[in-house]
Amino acid sequence: MSPLLQVSGVAKAYGGNRVLESIDFEIRPGEIVGVIGPNGSGKSTLLNAISGFTPVDSGQILLQGTPLQSATPHDIVSHGLARTFQLPAMPEKMTVMEVLLAASTAEHGFWSSLLGTRANRDAERLGRERAEQLLDELLLRNVRDNAAAALSGGQKKLLSVACALMGKPRLLMLDEPTAGVHPNLRRDMVQTLQRLNEQGLSLMIVEHDMHFIRDLCHRCIVLDRGHIVATCTPAELSSNESVLEAYLGRGAQQPKVAIA
Amino acid sequence: MFEFCLHVLTLACIYGLIALALNLQAGYTGLLNFGHIAFVGIGAYAVGIGHLAGWPLLPSILIGLGAAMVLAWLVARLGRNLASDYWGIATLAVAEILRIIALNQDAWTGGAQGISALPSLFATASSSAQDLYFALTLMVLVGLFAWLSLRLAASRFGRALRLLREQPQLASCLGYNLLTLKSRALMVSAALAALGGSMLASYTSYVSPDYLLAAQTFLVWSMLMIGGLGSVGGVLLGTLLVQCAYSFVPFAKDYLAIGSDVAGALRLGLVGLILLGCLLWRSGGLLPERLRIMP
Repeated sequence: MSPLLQVSGVAKAYGGNRVLESIDFEIRPGEIVGVIGPNGSGKSTLLNAISGFTPVDSGQILLQGTPLQSATPHDIVSHGLARTFQLPAMPEKMTVMEVLLAASTAEHGFWSSLLGTRANRDAERLGRERAEQLLDELLLRNVRDNAAAALSGGQKKLLSVACALMGKPRLLMLDEPTAGVHPNLRRDMVQTLQRLNEQGLSLMIVEHDMHFIRDLCHRCIVLDRGHIVATCTPAELSSNESVLEAYLGRGAQQPKVAIA
Repeated sequence: MFEFCLHVLTLACIYGLIALALNLQAGYTGLLNFGHIAFVGIGAYAVGIGHLAGWPLLPSILIGLGAAMVLAWLVARLGRNLASDYWGIATLAVAEILRIIALNQDAWTGGAQGISALPSLFATASSSAQDLYFALTLMVLVGLFAWLSLRLAASRFGRALRLLREQPQLASCLGYNLLTLKSRALMVSAALAALGGSMLASYTSYVSPDYLLAAQTFLVWSMLMIGGLGSVGGVLLGTLLVQCAYSFVPFAKDYLAIGSDVAGALRLGLVGLILLGCLLWRSGGLLPERLRIMP
């Protein structure tokens, strides 16, 4: 099966600080891939590079054959690749429902909006149906009419996932989706993401929570100082020497209590 | 007295159009445009220059709208890589450049003297009927554009603008082309501001570089801040309030027997006081923008 996302030879440096060096990996359709690594290992930069927020110095990023490395963030979204941010900021003067409707970009032209053309009304109707469905799926129903900025940190994360899903992406990249999220909500999030995955959505998840990674991911990519040091299944993480070295330093033994 | 009230109302309506235009940029889209008066000036000078060239009024107004939209497109592109506050300074500079051109290009603009004896919208009617028709036309226009503003704000386009205003990074990562959105908002706003400008020139039958003073932009900004940025009702209330404060000053001048220069200062001071009071006690304006609950 041809890969959904293919990253080859991607490198990025800020001055003399080489944040990513020759990154190669791929994500197959239907896969859930976790990206882990210590702080400063380049996880977020990799995510920013793929989503077009950070231009890469060299290398190629292909989404089903379409090169993304010189595309703008909004072009990349239109190719079916969505993302969320580590600290999602939400608007103060818009309700959760409005933010969700704004997250579908179909038919937002000036004239079609002002005149209320048929295409515009159809886009609005479809957007509403999708938004109502996502409110239920991501447990945001009871805050539907609240100001989006007034949500809790965890709810903002859920809302940013819901926003990313409004456009029906093929690949969704999540940046630390569970940081600051209540454990119960975390369990629901795993179930929701699994359900979406069964419907055909591929996921790439940057995360520190090993339980979350173990419960959800098919495969893990371990980054350390800008290099991929291991690619393995979540079960193999705690016995992989490169992973232990990245997290605990050279010469580390397998801990008596497993990482996960 | 009726004529005086009609005059205040007409001016309030003209500034209402200009303030509604600024609200599209500053209120909905979050663009800090400190050179808004440039679009108004283009509309006003289009009527003036059209008159000198012997064109009828309506085509002159339309040319003014077109020219303002072209300038808006350029200004949006000019600042594509600037942060919003630096872009604001650039817009101030653009308006000043236009004012200096208007002041020095005597052959086209009449220089510091300006262009006078401009045609009115209703050239054939008698003077008092003219004023009444003018006021009625402007009230209809303000009502129409206020309604369109409300409709736009609630539409898919308006929602995209408000998302851009509050969280540009989120808007971009959801797939909006921010530059296109900004240019469109700016062009629509420019056309409306130019319409306001041509109405002003036609009503006062005069245009001069003073119409392009930066202080005029800040006057319109005060109207928005007093009424409520992003709220159509607030913008219209703010405009009416500032216009009433302005018109009240000549009465105070006669009553208190003060000189013209003091009266001018009183005018600015009064607006400043209202603005200060609003900022201190009602920072969102008298009628602040509210959350839109979707049915």
